[in-house]
Amino acid sequence: MPRLLLADDDLDFCALLERYFRTEGFAVELAHDGDQALAAALAGDFDLIVLDIMMPGMSGLEVLRRLRPLRRTPVLMLTALGDDADSLRGFEEGADDYLGKPCNLKVLLARIRALLRRSEAVGAAGQDDRSQLRVGDLTMNVHSLSVKRLESSIDLTSTEFAILEALLRSAGQVVSKSELSEKALRRPLGRFDRSLDVHIGRLRQKIGPLPDGGERIKTVRGVGYQYVTE
Amino acid sequence: MVFAVSLYLDYANAKQESRVREDGSRGLVTAAQVAADGGGYAGLLAWVREQDAEQLIPLLLLDRDGRDVLGREVPLRVLARLQRHQQALREGQERRTPLLTLADGRQLWLMLDFQGASLSRLVSRPKVIALQLVLATLIGGAVCFLLAWYLISPIERLRKAAALYGAGDFRHRVGPSLGGRRDEIVDLAFAMDSMAGRIDKLIRSQHTLLRDVSHELRSPLARAQAAVGVARQQAGEVATPEFDRIEGEMDRLNELIGQILSYYRLDAGQRPGQEEPEAFRLDELMADVVEESRPLAAEKGCEIAWESPPPPAPVAGHEALVYSALTNVMQNAIRYSPAGGRIEVGLAAAGEAVWEMRISDAGPGVEPALLERIFEPFVRADASRAKNTGGFGLGLAIAKRAMEHHGGTIAARNREGGGLTLVMDLPAGSRPRE
Repeated sequence: MPRLLLADDDLDFCALLERYFRTEGFAVELAHDGDQALAAALAGDFDLIVLDIMMPGMSGLEVLRRLRPLRRTPVLMLTALGDDADSLRGFEEGADDYLGKPCNLKVLLARIRALLRRSEAVGAAGQDDRSQLRVGDLTMNVHSLSVKRLESSIDLTSTEFAILEALLRSAGQVVSKSELSEKALRRPLGRFDRSLDVHIGRLRQKIGPLPDGGERIKTVRGVGYQYVTE
Repeated sequence: MVFAVSLYLDYANAKQESRVREDGSRGLVTAAQVAADGGGYAGLLAWVREQDAEQLIPLLLLDRDGRDVLGREVPLRVLARLQRHQQALREGQERRTPLLTLADGRQLWLMLDFQGASLSRLVSRPKVIALQLVLATLIGGAVCFLLAWYLISPIERLRKAAALYGAGDFRHRVGPSLGGRRDEIVDLAFAMDSMAGRIDKLIRSQHTLLRDVSHELRSPLARAQAAVGVARQQAGEVATPEFDRIEGEMDRLNELIGQILSYYRLDAGQRPGQEEPEAFRLDELMADVVEESRPLAAEKGCEIAWESPPPPAPVAGHEALVYSALTNVMQNAIRYSPAGGRIEVGLAAAGEAVWEMRISDAGPGVEPALLERIFEPFVRADASRAKNTGGFGLGLAIAKRAMEHHGGTIAARNREGGGLTLVMDLPAGSRPRE
């Protein structure tokens, strides 16, 4: 039974979500402010955290900032509807996905399931003999969820990890946006959905340029992305 | 100006007159006597001619019968004065008489005709007042300039303020910048300030109301949507179409709230995302929007095509804002296109460092009277039809605000043969508006 932490200051909203997700077969725990949420996230072994940005005390973003160095638990941010700036900040703090609030519960459920499938897939890949991926100076260990450039390790969120993995497995080829969305985000590419681009931008910053100074992940406009092989 | 000069002329005249009156019986007579002693009658004549040519006040040299030696007409008033002098001389009353005695014993009277100083004499003797004239012009000019500046500078401030108000910035105030001045212009400035303050307050309260309402709608809507989700889950397959309908309407409400909020955020001058302009490629951004729009277009059987391959178009600006402008315009084009219609996209340089983006649909176009108004919030090309098309009438308003943030423009025009073209001009090195 997947364990879910719901952090939102709206008690009625939380109660509805709790009921919904219990029926869907989740073990649900609730938190109603930032401090509670951080304490619960650090204490419990959750499979996924749903974090509202607007909470009294510590904001959802602050919770995420403090949580990330300690836990890699997938986090889905609930952001105020239409506030793209908030969702971008969420990604920068290491959120794996975001959804505008108010949201359709079926959509929320689908996003949560996609995130869970992804972290399971990443975890299960350890038994696979393809657990070690090496492209140029970049080494990815799918089992230990680690990425190294030469000897220095790079800290990635599970979503960034999944995107990089998909790109590395097809290194030198163009991976279409919809394929990348299916493989890494585990959901179909939405209309006017920029979250993939934001993740890629973040990923580029973290892995840095090629030894020759070129961009590692090339944008092929209108098609998708390509990991450049030397 | 003319007034100032004539004032000065009067002053100069009076000064010369008093000097000459004082010297008349001494300096001038002495000088004339010296000329007569040195050059005789001829020398005296030459001296008188010279004086007459230089001085503003006519200098007459009269014989005892009152005839001028140079044959000039002698005014009666001078003759009267001559007679008074002669009378006084006869009676031995006058100590100093303007009387010259030549070597041959002839006696001549040196008389100044003060009232004979005329404008025509002045004009023909510019040297007399050349310096004074130049000075008067300079001083008069400076005074006029100061006076004009004093009057015009506050009016210029008022004009600038009016221009700002016209552009929608009602925070500007004129009155305090006019310092300690107290006149009708200041009264006007303060009246304008209070008018602007009132308009500003009204607009703000309208904005705040709509924004706050939108914010406050979110929480109950989020709960309602969650409740519908739970109800649907509990009900199983019962009433699925009705639940779909409820969720669909809630999604529309959601979308409307989101659009209202992003519109007012843009309107309030806040920009989502980075504050600094970033470099990006407009052609690539447009290509993205085209690709992302294809699924939506395909649902209506529409196709999206480039007019011609876009040229590389590097720009500096807020990519997210330009993206939202393009996306809103594109969604609009798809919305109003008939099934199977073709949407055309174009990008071309339009003059110095400006890119022109075009998105044309094959829809019914817009009534000419509405072509400019469709960029106002909630104004739609056709009120009756728009209900079915799913728009709120905010997309183009958002696009307009986003373009204006870049110093760009957006305009709509009907195409020949049907359809609407939206033209967006984006400065390549756009700076966000202050």
